[in-house]
Amino acid sequence: MPLFNLLKANLRKDYIGMKRYLPNTIAMLITFYLIFLGMFAGIQIVGDPSTQDANIQFVIVNYIFWYLSLIVVQDIGFQVGSEAVQGTLEQLSMSPMGISKILLSRLVASVIVNSIIVVSLLYLSMLTTGQWLNVDVITLLPILFLTIISMVGFGFIIAGLTIVLKQVNAFLQILQFILAGLVFIPLSVAPFLAFFPMVKGVDLVRGVMIDGLSLGAIHLADYIILIGNAGFYFVIGLLFFRYSEQIAMKKGLIGHY
Amino acid sequence: METIIDVSNLYKTYKKRKSNEIITAVNNISFSVQKGEILGLLGPNGAGKSSTIKMICGLIKPDKGAITINGINSQKHRLKALHHISAVLEGNRNLYWRLTVRENLEYFAGNRGYSRKDRKDTIDDLLEKFHLKNKEKEIVNRLSRGMQQKLAIAVAMLADSEVILLDEPTLGIDVQTGYEVRDLLQNIAKKYNRTIIISSHDMDVIQDLCERTIIINNGTIVTDDRVENLLRLFEVRAYTITLGKLLTKHQFHLLQQKFPQLDYSPDILQSTLEVELNNNEEIYDLFDILKLEQIPVESIDRKTINFEQVFLKIVKGEMQNAFIQSS
Repeated sequence: MPLFNLLKANLRKDYIGMKRYLPNTIAMLITFYLIFLGMFAGIQIVGDPSTQDANIQFVIVNYIFWYLSLIVVQDIGFQVGSEAVQGTLEQLSMSPMGISKILLSRLVASVIVNSIIVVSLLYLSMLTTGQWLNVDVITLLPILFLTIISMVGFGFIIAGLTIVLKQVNAFLQILQFILAGLVFIPLSVAPFLAFFPMVKGVDLVRGVMIDGLSLGAIHLADYIILIGNAGFYFVIGLLFFRYSEQIAMKKGLIGHY
Repeated sequence: METIIDVSNLYKTYKKRKSNEIITAVNNISFSVQKGEILGLLGPNGAGKSSTIKMICGLIKPDKGAITINGINSQKHRLKALHHISAVLEGNRNLYWRLTVRENLEYFAGNRGYSRKDRKDTIDDLLEKFHLKNKEKEIVNRLSRGMQQKLAIAVAMLADSEVILLDEPTLGIDVQTGYEVRDLLQNIAKKYNRTIIISSHDMDVIQDLCERTIIINNGTIVTDDRVENLLRLFEVRAYTITLGKLLTKHQFHLLQQKFPQLDYSPDILQSTLEVELNNNEEIYDLFDILKLEQIPVESIDRKTINFEQVFLKIVKGEMQNAFIQSS
């Protein structure tokens, strides 16, 4: 029950933030939509006309995932950094729930609240391009769930780095391009990327949304990689964060900026 | 009385980033705090008090030593120990400035695992007690510093933890709110039987609130005593005597012979004598001379020493002298 209350508190905080600063939320949505329009225009102007439809579908899925990865992976770094500046990180660190559980609930809350934006962006981009993708919720949900778990693990690594190093804003800016690279590069070009966080998931989601792949048609090996990645990155992320927290406590860095 | 916090042989060093020089922030500190006690932690900047407080809060790991909170070893069972402790370390910076007063209280309650329903009565009660009820829907950003400070203390009260640590609770707030905060803290300790540890540069706050004071300097405890004992220790037997007329040369020499450190300020209307006595008996000698010489006395004032002066004397290392003199 305490964990559920923790999640509820963070969900409510995110929801209040989104509602209270609605113009900011709308501005963010418009910015991402404009970026998408830029990509769409790029494909139409310089892209190969014979593969234009496939390219647009590819971009829609990748683009949505890129946004999701920014929320989960990059945003947690910014959050930890800004909480350290505000002085609230110390308060969170003093909660008997433990800061890793608080951050986890933050990530989950952030994904849930931002899914409104993700779905809006998806339908807005499909409407703009006229390319209607296969939104098979039953097949997509487990893949998304496992992919987000690996993203959360990656997010914990970034949070751990932020808690120790603090001034990581420049790195977080670069990170968005690394995330774009992971999301946009097709697995057929670099198969080894399947073992990187979220790449396999994005590939499978592309399969579902573009090629109409169903849950039963996905290979066992793909499931194993997906589940393995989710477990591996989540555990590694959590361990790395706990280790960083210990270093921060030893050096007296929690709350310092 | 029951011990709630036990700090023994605490030791903490930091390494300077560029020079790799080791700095000892806390050097073998030991003390204990009783349930319901208000303890003041004093020291100049860099003395080690913040490090000590943060080690008690579990935000900094000590190099050596042990901290027990309500019988729980805080290094071994940090999260368990945190159930018994809450703190206001950065004052108004401990709050979410974009949330309202009530939302802050509800959010922090949630972060401790409580549901909004569970804590509703507690939150209502705190809003009432801290005079924040009419501001509950106000965004923290728009509150005065004093109100933010009160809210930060209210947040610390949410958890029902036995120990509350406050770092500079009156820093940057106006005099009236400062008094209000003091009253609140006194109330918290008495009514709720909470243990409070206050670190402050405001000596009036310490003198008013704390039953006991620990003064830390250069990472070590210089003194650990009751405020009134420290005041007594540095008490001076100095008097200012206002005279109704000017002293003659002969009278002045007579007094100076007996009291060599006498300070005389002649004035046609009101002359004053300032004298420091070695013992209480000497006051009779002084008055014998004044009576014999028929010098009218208009008033006698004993010079008092405030806690700020005591603190400065202790930090300057005058503790030893005071002990010798008093004994």
